[in-house]
Amino acid sequence: MHCPAFIAHNNLWISLFIGGLANGFLYAMIAIGYTLVYGVLRLINFAHSEVFMLGAFGAYFALHYALGSSSPVGYLALLWVLVGIAAGGIAGAVTGFSLERVAYRPLRRRNAPKLTYLISAIGASLFLQNLAAKEFGRGNPFVPAPALTSGVAVTVCGAAIDQFWILTFIVAIVMLVFADVVVHRTKLGRGIRAVAQDVDTASLMGVNIDRTIVTTFVLGGLLGGAAGCLWGMQYGVNFGMGFIPGLKAFAAAVLGGIGNLRGAMLGGLLLGVVESLSLKFISSQYEDVVAYSVLIVVLLVRPTGILGERLGRVA
Amino acid sequence: MRKLLMRACVPIVAGAVALAGFSAIASASTTPHAAKPVFEIAYEGPLSGGVAQLGLNMVYGERLAINLANEGKTFGKLPFALVPGTYNDQGSETVSPTTAAEIVAKKAIVAVVGPAFSGATKAAEPTFHAAHLATVSPSATNVLLATHGWNNFFRVVAADNIQGSADASYITSKLKLKKIYVVSDQTTYGAGLASAFTAAAKHDGATIYGGGPDPIPSTPACGNGGTGDPSQYPGKAATIKSANPPIIFYGGYYCDLGLLISALHTVGYKGRIMSGDGSDDPHLISGTKPTKAANGTFLSCACSVLGKTPADRTFAAGFTAIAKFPPGTYSAEAYDSTNIIIEAMLKIWKAYGAKGETRARIVTFLHAVSWVGLTKTIKFQANGNIAGTTVYMNQVRSGKIYQIGLA
Repeated sequence: MHCPAFIAHNNLWISLFIGGLANGFLYAMIAIGYTLVYGVLRLINFAHSEVFMLGAFGAYFALHYALGSSSPVGYLALLWVLVGIAAGGIAGAVTGFSLERVAYRPLRRRNAPKLTYLISAIGASLFLQNLAAKEFGRGNPFVPAPALTSGVAVTVCGAAIDQFWILTFIVAIVMLVFADVVVHRTKLGRGIRAVAQDVDTASLMGVNIDRTIVTTFVLGGLLGGAAGCLWGMQYGVNFGMGFIPGLKAFAAAVLGGIGNLRGAMLGGLLLGVVESLSLKFISSQYEDVVAYSVLIVVLLVRPTGILGERLGRVA
Repeated sequence: MRKLLMRACVPIVAGAVALAGFSAIASASTTPHAAKPVFEIAYEGPLSGGVAQLGLNMVYGERLAINLANEGKTFGKLPFALVPGTYNDQGSETVSPTTAAEIVAKKAIVAVVGPAFSGATKAAEPTFHAAHLATVSPSATNVLLATHGWNNFFRVVAADNIQGSADASYITSKLKLKKIYVVSDQTTYGAGLASAFTAAAKHDGATIYGGGPDPIPSTPACGNGGTGDPSQYPGKAATIKSANPPIIFYGGYYCDLGLLISALHTVGYKGRIMSGDGSDDPHLISGTKPTKAANGTFLSCACSVLGKTPADRTFAAGFTAIAKFPPGTYSAEAYDSTNIIIEAMLKIWKAYGAKGETRARIVTFLHAVSWVGLTKTIKFQANGNIAGTTVYMNQVRSGKIYQIGLA
């Protein structure tokens, strides 16, 4: 492959860009959960970081017990990775579903003020973290992913690209397209958008509000849990793992325009890349400083996020 | 208003009375050997929150030492009975003085294993010192702790500067490498070790990339109190690879080092890697992806490698049986800290009998006794630091940690 001299001399930039993009896709997958729930309920589900965490545990336990000490290779390995992602997605979806039932629906029935939901979410988050620490231990095991962990997959102009990043790209793109299609092209999605626009009217038009809201949680949980599996394959699974990625995904959702599905995707990618490239600026200690300065500047210029807050139209 | 206050007070008072009653019953019924005097050895460290794992690693080390001593398996039949106590300081310097006050107030406590963290130790030690209560820390490595004149302060781990200078001279003299990339995990321990190492390496004539340690903060999932983001590693690894240093020195713990080595492997870094006792743990290998990427890593420690002798294996099995997880960082150190305290108590018993077991006398005797522990022979210098500053160099070879000589 022919490499322009400029790129060959700056292959660190390529590594940082692609690594940042991989993180960005993970942020985007988590951010969808925040933005969808915000769309229909007008509240930030602060327990979403635990959906991500329990998704990762779901994938970990599924693969840990299914694989034991065996390490499949080739297509079989890929199959098991997909099983792990499915297990993560299901665990995330179940967590999202339970959260809606336990922490939100009772409050909704009693017309509780928005602030109450916030406390309920934070409470659920702390409860789940500590429960996971007690029940699943405090270690940091990896989600087993045998054939995909042996390191460099391809080298582009001297820049190493982890095969895990490629896996992340493929899974994330498929799932993000899936979420987009569900919200924009299906009857279910029309229901979600209708509830986001006007709950009362949607209800009068025959949309089942309860079912739509719980579906939103499940959809967000599916993506968040799958992201948890991918994260756990690279960085390990731990009861406290949800906090920072959750915070960043929330920032990404706001950056793209909260309530806006494509905005959340764009926000996640942008945050991941800026964060990673800022390593090369000044010093690595400035990673977060640079990333969040960009966030603040963007929000100062466009207070509703890059694509704009689309209240009432989760699209 | 007054009525309201009363209403609020009654249940609280009733609750307090019930609690007091309950604790009285509890302490009476847990006394194992009614005929023998009972002494408590307290453990102080983090038992909740993100850093709880380190505290739990130590609590069960202390508990195992006490169980084995009570059963007569370590010292033969004991003339007294021991009970373990656990006191949670959350690893925090703002909480630890209160925890220390609670410990000091409990008359049955004769000595303390802990505090675990350097910051918490610094804040609590004036309280312990005033009460003449001996504290033997399994893990506080900050150099300055031994300089305050607290005669009751002891630690079974070497201070950061000992290890840092031994590591630096190993790199510059034995490996003959003069350019070093230093990483600090930003924890009290990791930053202390990285800066002690940097100073010693510069003194030995080495060049440090960027002039000093590159901070790569420990991540919350690793439970050492850091706030770093695990997704930082691919980028940091790419940055280090572009500098292409012949060796990286890592000041920090095994869990984050495993993540860094994995990322370095991915970007194709071919140089060497060295770290200190915080990383000298088999979990480093299982926490690296792929595990073979950990091969070649140098790990220094002022301790011998665990898992070689029958005593080590008995320890690991006994620990796992009560803790339900295998020993981790500082588990063996907590076990040793407890045993040196018991050894001092036995010496006192021989010289003075039951009446002799006072807090102040345990302090005095700890300055004199020695004990062949799991990690090393425990003997203290006048300032409380561990005597004998031999640092061993270990290396990961084919997925196992081997001792390769003196550092």
